Amino acid sequence: MRSKVFYWSAWILVLFCLLLAVVLFSFCAGPVNMPLKKILKVIFEGRGSSEYSILFDIRLPRIILGFAIGGALSLAGVILQGMFRNPLVEPYTLGISGGAAVGVCLNIVLGLSRGLGIISLPICGFLGAILVILLVYSLSLRKGILKIHGLLLTGVMISFISSSLIMLIMSVSHTEDLHGIVFWVMGSLEEPNWLLIKLALGIAVFGLAVSYFFCFDLNAFSLGEEEALHLGINVERVKRLLFVIASLLTGFSVSVVGIIGFVGLVVPHFSRMFVGRDHRILLVSSFLCGAIFLIFCDSLARIIIAPLELPVGVITGILGGSLFIYTLFKKQVSLEGK
Amino acid sequence: MKRNIILLVVLFSICALTFYFLLKLPDNSTRKAGPCRYPQRIISLGPSVTKALYLLGAQDKLIADTIYCIDPPEVKKKEKIGTVTEVNIEKIFNLKPDLVLATSLTNPKAREKLKNLGVRVTTFSTLKDFNDICNQFLELGRLVDKENEAKEIVKSVESEIILIKEKVKGLHKPKVFVQMGARPLFAATGSYFVNDYIEFAGGINIAKEAREGIYSREQILKENPDVIIITTMGAMGMVAEEEKSIWQKYETLSAAKSRRIYIIDTDEITAPTPQSFVKTLADFEHILHSGEQNEK
Repeated sequence: MRSKVFYWSAWILVLFCLLLAVVLFSFCAGPVNMPLKKILKVIFEGRGSSEYSILFDIRLPRIILGFAIGGALSLAGVILQGMFRNPLVEPYTLGISGGAAVGVCLNIVLGLSRGLGIISLPICGFLGAILVILLVYSLSLRKGILKIHGLLLTGVMISFISSSLIMLIMSVSHTEDLHGIVFWVMGSLEEPNWLLIKLALGIAVFGLAVSYFFCFDLNAFSLGEEEALHLGINVERVKRLLFVIASLLTGFSVSVVGIIGFVGLVVPHFSRMFVGRDHRILLVSSFLCGAIFLIFCDSLARIIIAPLELPVGVITGILGGSLFIYTLFKKQVSLEGK
Repeated sequence: MKRNIILLVVLFSICALTFYFLLKLPDNSTRKAGPCRYPQRIISLGPSVTKALYLLGAQDKLIADTIYCIDPPEVKKKEKIGTVTEVNIEKIFNLKPDLVLATSLTNPKAREKLKNLGVRVTTFSTLKDFNDICNQFLELGRLVDKENEAKEIVKSVESEIILIKEKVKGLHKPKVFVQMGARPLFAATGSYFVNDYIEFAGGINIAKEAREGIYSREQILKENPDVIIITTMGAMGMVAEEEKSIWQKYETLSAAKSRRIYIIDTDEITAPTPQSFVKTLADFEHILHSGEQNEK
């Protein structure tokens, strides 16, 4: 027991160090050259210089948003994978991101954000996400038994349907709205509104804290739903609550940064490789890994073709998609071996 | 066991809280605008703005523009800060501009971010008609202390336009279709300034009433325009040539019968200044009323 706690604490410490390193890298990386020495000098000189503004008004918000969104998406991934006992499930492959995207597009086109304020964006995203998650779940239930393959296929199809819906919305919208949607769909961590950034961070951390109330339930789920029921867990209630948390995390992330795929797939997978399947450590380490991963990808996106900027979804998509195929392949091999 | 978990949660909440309060620090920082009334360091985020600045003689105040700004040729030497849609905020900010001239195509988030950073950003909206072009040109003139020059240019252009309008008065009005894009087929609708080229030159725009620019080929065949004008899409104009040959295959189309399908350089048509407007208008007038002798 003691050695386990020791191992876990060491692991978290390592992740924090990595996070720090990535944050520093992200501070340095960009079209304006900022070596570490210069950063220290700028910080000590205090506000007023343009370098200070670049560090704290341009790069810092992106880092914080990357931390929050990366963490939130990975956490949603871990929760969904734990619930469905499948490593290929994540907000993107289940179509939840797509549902949230449709919600946000409708919001932009109907002009709700102008009437109700910027806060209506995440609400629409959340509603879209939870609608899809309920749809996917109820569609893949057959006589009370969950078919995992059906679930994934339904999810992917719902992704396609929602991207078609987005195109439909785009083709009937006015030019100004169209620009808004196009930019938003591409996905970027550039967000001028501090309120949304703070809210994203708040929701991500809130999600992490709440999910810890369910870490034992998630561990029990890994044995199978029936076994979980026998262990005295109110399966239906827990599942409903976890659905809400996952939709909240995904819906909010999507509404702020657009569609950034596969973060929720890659990160939990890697975390599991290192810390095992115990959700007590998996939740927090996935959160941190997700934050590290997204901040890193965003820094890469900024410098690869500078002064132009890649959409961050390009990098996460390529890395995550390849990993998805790899996992699928590996799994088949191991099944055949049995 | 349970104690450890509670400890973890508490630890995390503390981390989150510290992060949250750290955030509050750089919240409302803004840079004061310079004391000089007229901007000396301008960044243009649109080809038409860049062209207008050169026309006004304010090019030495322009410090950077987009990679799409290629006209006039000497503009290529200026610093580039991104495309018309995606700009690099850091680079813009680091150049310390006192005025950024954005267009409606610029990423709205980037515009807002620059404003939050205390940079003065003026956005020029989509050009709906010739009046818009003139008004924006005059506004630009006011912004860069070249108001008189701007007024003079607009005045001379307006008189030229009156001449052209006089010339086409009473002539037969051909039905015209201006194609702005191939896939999807994109028309110049009444809410875009290209419509004014057609009307000033004495033509009827068949797509004037369309709400959206995306147009169907069937509808065009039904309306049967007398003239089709295609703007070159892509560097070599290959797409435009291809489109032209597609139109030519429709034997019932009067534009195809009389071989009045033309191709026009897109730079002129998408990045207008009052001066280039009147130049293109003259081309249109020539195309619409010179009849058969001019098959490009």
